[in-house]
Amino acid sequence: MLHYFRLWLASARYSVIRSMMFRGDFIMWSLVELFWMAVNIAAIAVIYEHTDAVAGWSKYEMILLVGTTMLIQRMLMGFFWSNLFELGRNIRTGNFDFFLAQPGNLLFIVSTRKLDLDGLINVFVALAVVLYAVKQLGIEPSFLQVATYASFVFCGLAISYAMLLLFASISFWAIGSQGLEGTYFTFMEFARLPREAFRGVANVIFVWVLPAVVLSNAPARALIDGFDPVYALWLGGATVAWLGLSVTVFRRGLRRYSSASS
Amino acid sequence: MRLLVAKYRHVFNVGLQNSIVYRWNFALRAVFSLVHLAFVFILWGAAFRGEDTIGGFSLDQTLTYFVTLLVLQFFIGAFNEDYQISEEIRNGLINQFLLKPINYFAYRFTLFLSARLISGLLALVPVVLCLPLLQEHLTFPDEAWRLYLGIPAAFMAALIQFSIAYVFGLLTFWFLEIQSFVILSLAIETVLGGQIFPLDLLPATIFRISQFLPYYYQMYFPAAIFTGRLDQATAMEGLAIQAIWVVLLLAFGQFLWRRGLRRHTAVGG
Repeated sequence: MLHYFRLWLASARYSVIRSMMFRGDFIMWSLVELFWMAVNIAAIAVIYEHTDAVAGWSKYEMILLVGTTMLIQRMLMGFFWSNLFELGRNIRTGNFDFFLAQPGNLLFIVSTRKLDLDGLINVFVALAVVLYAVKQLGIEPSFLQVATYASFVFCGLAISYAMLLLFASISFWAIGSQGLEGTYFTFMEFARLPREAFRGVANVIFVWVLPAVVLSNAPARALIDGFDPVYALWLGGATVAWLGLSVTVFRRGLRRYSSASS
Repeated sequence: MRLLVAKYRHVFNVGLQNSIVYRWNFALRAVFSLVHLAFVFILWGAAFRGEDTIGGFSLDQTLTYFVTLLVLQFFIGAFNEDYQISEEIRNGLINQFLLKPINYFAYRFTLFLSARLISGLLALVPVVLCLPLLQEHLTFPDEAWRLYLGIPAAFMAALIQFSIAYVFGLLTFWFLEIQSFVILSLAIETVLGGQIFPLDLLPATIFRISQFLPYYYQMYFPAAIFTGRLDQATAMEGLAIQAIWVVLLLAFGQFLWRRGLRRHTAVGG
């Protein structure tokens, strides 16, 4: 365990040095992410100019929801996105051999080789949005609420990682499947919506089948209403199921991988 | 003149064939945009619960706006023209255009037109398939002038979209990597082009300011004409401002091309 932590630290150090080498890029990309977050907040501000509630959620409850989604996404971008995006590409090009030749847990090495500092910097911005919403709502969360929120966000990150790994692993079967990783963002759009907004078929797909809605709604409600055992079980179950599914698919794919000759 | 037409018609045909090769990419994108449309329907459906109108428009009018936007995007939106141009500059592929009697802008724009024809038609497929579901929400005004003014507005919007992509592509003469510029501009475009919400929902002053920016004219403006979000006088005024932006952006593209070539060194043969 300690060994892997040291490995991770070494990768982190390498990533920091790399970012500092390309400072202009780092600043530009941080701005890009900051801007996209501002776009989402602006959208809420404009909609609530014209209505008081969306599916029963007030303006600042909605900002809390969107802030929570951003928090999960920025962490995913910071810790895993580059790695898993490159996983698909490496499988297609055959560069994946390099990882197979390394000692240690393959999935760990594949997932943690790089950190994106621009994503991580914006984690603090997302956190600030969440804190701002909490303050505007006049909530004084208990320790239990904060702990619940943190662990729910962690589950959300794990589910996001699992979805991304699943999409990247499809490359083992379909070599031409470029850009499938983007599917994650298409579905994650729904995380910005309150669960109560979904009806009919959409409710079945996005709330029950895909974990997109629960991963943001559960932590947000935990701060607003306190600990809810239903959400805890639901989110915990989804986390285990999605991680299990994606790791199984990754392992299966690995057995198929036959390298690429040049 | 006939020779000129023949030359670019040939480019257009090549572009058509190229785009058909990538038909699955376009089709996949069209399906993704339907998923996005589901997001839009759920969000606005929830926002309209308990309100008959928002900003003076009904739920159906708002949904019609977003469906129109989706279709327009595939017919006039620039997709990855900026990256393609950037790639051609970096790899030295533009050198051949410096030697041949072909205008690089015209060549690229012709390719853009052929690609949009294919992607537009492909995007219509999922929309038509979903028509039974969409139909009850679609409500278009029936004034004829909306068509006469909307079509030139859409064409000029395509020119603006392409010119902006062209300008970003040309930045490669000065910068190694343009991706961050493109995505930053995309974020501004997404809001001020009216893709997140119809621009008329903005506070009045900001809405007025946005009418003088090019983003307003690259998507929102034609969509607003077609879906009845603005009147004839405003549309006429808009067309004039849009034409000014077209000229300015074309001139700026030309300026960058000239300046860029001075910095450009063609290597190898």
